[in-house]
Amino acid sequence: MIGVGKIKQYSNVLDKPLSRGRQEVSLSAFAFLFSELVQYSQTQVDNIAELERRLEDAGYAVGARVLELLCHREKGNRRETRLLGILSFVHSTVWKVLFGKVADSLEKGTEHEDEYMISEKELLVNRFISIPKDMGAFNCGAFVAGIVRGVLDGAGFPAVVTAHFVPMEGQQRPRTTILIKFAEEVLRRESRLGG
Amino acid sequence: MIASVAVVGHQNNPLYLQSFTEADDALKLHHIVHCSLDVIDERVNNPKKSVLTLNESFLGLLYPTESYKVYGYLTNTKVKFLMVTTDLNVKDADVRSFFRRFHAAYVDAVSNPFHVPGKKIASRTFAKRMSGIVKGFSPGTNG
Repeated sequence: MIGVGKIKQYSNVLDKPLSRGRQEVSLSAFAFLFSELVQYSQTQVDNIAELERRLEDAGYAVGARVLELLCHREKGNRRETRLLGILSFVHSTVWKVLFGKVADSLEKGTEHEDEYMISEKELLVNRFISIPKDMGAFNCGAFVAGIVRGVLDGAGFPAVVTAHFVPMEGQQRPRTTILIKFAEEVLRRESRLGG
Repeated sequence: MIASVAVVGHQNNPLYLQSFTEADDALKLHHIVHCSLDVIDERVNNPKKSVLTLNESFLGLLYPTESYKVYGYLTNTKVKFLMVTTDLNVKDADVRSFFRRFHAAYVDAVSNPFHVPGKKIASRTFAKRMSGIVKGFSPGTNG
């Protein structure tokens, strides 16, 4: 979990609790590492679409491993076979482990049957990033979109996941939305299971 | 006595196979593991009881042959763990705790950033941990 709390200093090392240890990583360490990742990818690609794809691929690998880890840690885990089940798993458990809190909202798309959206007021990975004007609609949340895609793919729900900025009235910074579009076979299976 | 353990990927591709008895040859164990895969597929696709059992991870005794018993375990990513044992009186709880430790070792092996998902697990640490877990498994002990 990327640390959002303050560091508590123990005067005496013997006073530290013998627990499993802090499950947190320092936010600054992650921010530096992520900014290096973005900068390195930028030198390797020619256009924005490629950059987004590289970040997403990086996230995909993370997502696949996070899924394995979480399934093992959850004591009473059952395999998710239903769409809503896996979506709420991503929305609460995965988000809690990665970012320390559940995602702000989970909505079903109105236009298409197979679209769902997870929104966040401000993605943790984007906190220290500002996009220059000439990059247009690029969103470093592509990394998080890749993580979600890795989790869904590993669980057997192939989907196309993208990250978008959605401007909100009354707020300076636009809200980030992760758009999940499931593949045909997922919807077919869901209707067959009686969803 | 555990004869062998196997990890099979979600497309039924073998990811790891190790035998712990020198007497039997590897091919026979391969065959047994292969047959058990069919049983797993059957269990996953046609649940005997209500829909609730669709989600169980521990699949239990799959396939008793004349001298072996095969136990199965399914993870959330459709990766299957199989355990072939020659003991005829293993307790269910022992097997469950064995699979729990197996799962922990597997998660650690997969978290390796150099591990490509879908390829064989080539980690020596994983092999050592598995030998340790197998040695620690014996009927009559709980965990």
